[in-house]
Amino acid sequence: MQGFRLNGSRVLEIDLMGDAVRAATGSMIAYTGDVTFKNAGMGGGDGLMAGLKRRAAGESVALMHCTGQGTVWFAKDAMEVLIVELNGDTLKVESEQLLALSDKLKTDVAFAGVRGASSGQGLFTTTVTGYGTVALLSAGGPPIALEVSPQYPLVVDPDAFVASQGQLNQSFVTDVSWRNLIGESSGEAFSLRFDGSGVVYIQPEER
Amino acid sequence: MIPLNPTTLPDNDNIPGNHYAYCVRLDGQLFMQTGRMIAYYPAPHSQGIRFEPLTAASLGGMVATRFSAPLYTRDWVVAAGAGHLILGDRGYDINSYDLDDGNLTLRAANLLAFDSTLELKQSIVPGFLTLIGTGKFLASSSGPVIFAEPPIRVDPEALVGWADCPSPSHHYDAGWMGGFLAGAMGMMGVNSGEERQFDFTGAGTVLIQSSESTVADPHLVQQLEGQLAGLGLSGLQRMQQAVAQQLAQQQQR
Repeated sequence: MQGFRLNGSRVLEIDLMGDAVRAATGSMIAYTGDVTFKNAGMGGGDGLMAGLKRRAAGESVALMHCTGQGTVWFAKDAMEVLIVELNGDTLKVESEQLLALSDKLKTDVAFAGVRGASSGQGLFTTTVTGYGTVALLSAGGPPIALEVSPQYPLVVDPDAFVASQGQLNQSFVTDVSWRNLIGESSGEAFSLRFDGSGVVYIQPEER
Repeated sequence: MIPLNPTTLPDNDNIPGNHYAYCVRLDGQLFMQTGRMIAYYPAPHSQGIRFEPLTAASLGGMVATRFSAPLYTRDWVVAAGAGHLILGDRGYDINSYDLDDGNLTLRAANLLAFDSTLELKQSIVPGFLTLIGTGKFLASSSGPVIFAEPPIRVDPEALVGWADCPSPSHHYDAGWMGGFLAGAMGMMGVNSGEERQFDFTGAGTVLIQSSESTVADPHLVQQLEGQLAGLGLSGLQRMQQAVAQQLAQQQQR
């Protein structure tokens, strides 16, 4: 039983009782008790195969194992923290927005598509599967959870995308209309469209 | 956290509990600054939402009559159609304002969107845009906006905009001005960082943000470039000298 809870809206507090969590490297701000922190390795703690895929995908995730007895506080760049429970389903998350997860959850890299290769965002995402808790980060303000249903498909700016959960079909929209909307300096030329049923989390600031 | 959907999203209001995101219920046309939209739901059984550049032929004469700010045309689009648009601006507070047969001038980087019933003009104060008419617009600010009445002096970085006619002018601290007149400026090194303000007098309202940190203003370069056209040969040579001097100073740091 792991206690993920918020202390304010920007600090995550986790009680460890001999078990482990994985968290973004360098995100620990304080701890009490007897806790050890160890780099989770090249694959972010998911073995060599995931590590190689990450290399190839350029989706970087730097995680550390935190084990022991005590309480640990995590935070990153004063971003808002969102706690999401997983019950056997899959969460797709932008790796920069991942703060911490239960150690029993499995992480991998998903290839999201071939279009829009000019952008690093949204082409590869980290997937988290299993039963446990995940803490996500939102820049620029509190995260926004948006429901996707067959009646209401959703279009999202890849730079504001944080995570998605549920039975969702993700596609790229590269139409001229969207390109007009993008600031010339950012170079983003596509958007993410979600169909199906699930939830998409976005942040008020663009990366 | 309960997910929002088009039936629970607010129509033209901030996302609940979130000053940094705003939901527009679009039905028709809206002028929008590029790069400020973070997500949208097209309305069911509709054509969806299209984002047209101001040069799009389909917009016809509408843009020409509503948008007379040639320096900024590349930064704006017209969103047309039906649905819910969610806007965010780098973690700045977003607020909506109603203009009722009035006028309001805003820093260009802080104006996010405005109704096509309003008219936009380039202000004669560089880097600012003026809205005239009746309608709604969205503006961002670093922290909540404070409304103040003239006479008031405002730090240039904290100024968001002003409404009606408070005749903006520069104000320089008398001590600093004395030094400047004596030709000693720059040698004295007694700058407090507060010797220059914007001075407002007359009847109206001044909008001030609670932080002096501003968005890096991408419009400033465009603004300066636009004015170069008005310079003659000697003027251009002076500019070249001034730029070279500034460059040398920056490289020394």
